[in-house]
Amino acid sequence: MSSGCGHAVEYLYRYLDEELTWSHRIRIRWHLRRCPHCCSAFEFEAKLKELIRERGCDEPPPELFDRLHALIQQETGEIS
Amino acid sequence: MAEQADFERDAMQYAPQLYSAALRMTRNPSDAEDIVQETFLKAYRAYGTFREGTNLKAWLYRILTNTYINRYRKLQRRPSEVELGELQDFYLFRRLGEQAGAEPSAEESVLDRIVDADVKEALESLPEHFRLPVLLADVDGFSYKEIADIMDIPIGTVMSRLHRGRKALQQKLWSLAEEHGLTGSGS
Repeated sequence: MSSGCGHAVEYLYRYLDEELTWSHRIRIRWHLRRCPHCCSAFEFEAKLKELIRERGCDEPPPELFDRLHALIQQETGEIS
Repeated sequence: MAEQADFERDAMQYAPQLYSAALRMTRNPSDAEDIVQETFLKAYRAYGTFREGTNLKAWLYRILTNTYINRYRKLQRRPSEVELGELQDFYLFRRLGEQAGAEPSAEESVLDRIVDADVKEALESLPEHFRLPVLLADVDGFSYKEIADIMDIPIGTVMSRLHRGRKALQQKLWSLAEEHGLTGSGS
């Protein structure tokens, strides 16, 4: 654990979320290249983030589109 | 300004994502559909005030989030730090690493076995204040600034809730993985 590790961990999520400036990003990348422990931890977090995105959603019931369409039609009718 | 007549053409593509987000918020398919319908109705009525070329997806999510908050009012409670207890960095990675021993990238192979239902359950287990930023960032891919606008909270608050929420999510995923025998403990 070096001082670079503490810095990398502090900025972990901002790095993964692409919320860092370009120069800050390079600084973290530089550390990750030299520190296998942080590198594998970051890779794990990135994979977890991807997994949540892929597996955290549901398909709507197919009727939803028809219901929304009908709702707007009805509203349009009331307005005009 | 946007034309009301174009609303359906412009907004319908976001219905699936809005429904999925609503389902994670309400944890119930019929409530989710209700708030999506209410969102569409409000958005349709207000579409004349939407500035074309700006972020329609974020605008719809803002209406969805407000509809949910107004209807369920759970967010009125102040978030309590105690609500999530003590949280560690890299919780899941560390716990899996302890189990995996020398086997290379065993942590990631456990991730592959985590099923959709566990991810959804873990997301839904988060207290409201933390669940919304995690959903908006991790499932819907919004930036911190967009989340701040959608939830009407400062960007610093988005970041702190997101960080704590993600750590809590990892603890929940770990306990579900353990329950389902994915971690190798007890075998």
